[in-house]
Amino acid sequence: MHTLFSRINNTSALLSSCVMGLLAAIAISSILIQFFESPIEGGSVLVKKVKITHGRGRQYKYEHAHVDFEVDADLSSLFNWNTKQLFLYVDAEYTNARGVKNAVVIWDRIVRRKADAKIHYAGKQKYHFKDTNTFRDAQAIYTLRYNVMPHVGALVYGVAASTNASVPFPPMVNNA
Amino acid sequence: MSSFLQELTEGKIDFVGQQQVELISRVWLIGSTILSFVLGFAAQNLQVTFGFFGVSTLLLALIVLPPWPMFNRHPTQWLAVRSKSD
Repeated sequence: MHTLFSRINNTSALLSSCVMGLLAAIAISSILIQFFESPIEGGSVLVKKVKITHGRGRQYKYEHAHVDFEVDADLSSLFNWNTKQLFLYVDAEYTNARGVKNAVVIWDRIVRRKADAKIHYAGKQKYHFKDTNTFRDAQAIYTLRYNVMPHVGALVYGVAASTNASVPFPPMVNNA
Repeated sequence: MSSFLQELTEGKIDFVGQQQVELISRVWLIGSTILSFVLGFAAQNLQVTFGFFGVSTLLLALIVLPPWPMFNRHPTQWLAVRSKSD
């Protein structure tokens, strides 16, 4: 502490330890907040229509599924001071005729503010949904999942809503 | 000129001043860490936490880093030069 340089050295050492302690406390506090938070209720995933067609162009030999669905959920209880953003995604889980278990993400959204946390989406899927073999005789459960991404700390995954019951895939439209 | 610059950049303070600086910075930093956590948690706003912490650290730097005269009030009493004795 006898020179300016050594004062800067010593103070910055204690400062960085304090900052690390502060970050650890923030991470622990948000884990505790989420632990005592009640789970998400009142959400719903409704599948309006599913259509199976040939793919376009080079994808003609594969079966493509087109899903119209509606998602409703209130996720504002997931926002605390340590929440940076929520990553939401709807995925379809099914076992195809060959016995292979699949989980395909068909829609996602990033929510950065608590004001945007009341989700309502009615429309088409965002991403291609195809099976390498066939969708025949299969049925899928559609689930809205979330991933809470904090400023500092651990990622937390959860389920917001689900169709619960399986939604069957209709037979393919032959002239599509 | 060069010795003036050297003194300026060295910023020496005496031993009692060093003890005071160490005490001040330790108490200030730990206190502001706790206070900024509590304030931010109450406001549920991370910007409050780091804004408060940043401002308080700047204030600490102003108080502790420059060689203020209050840290030089107890200069070291050097013994007189002893002549060579055989």
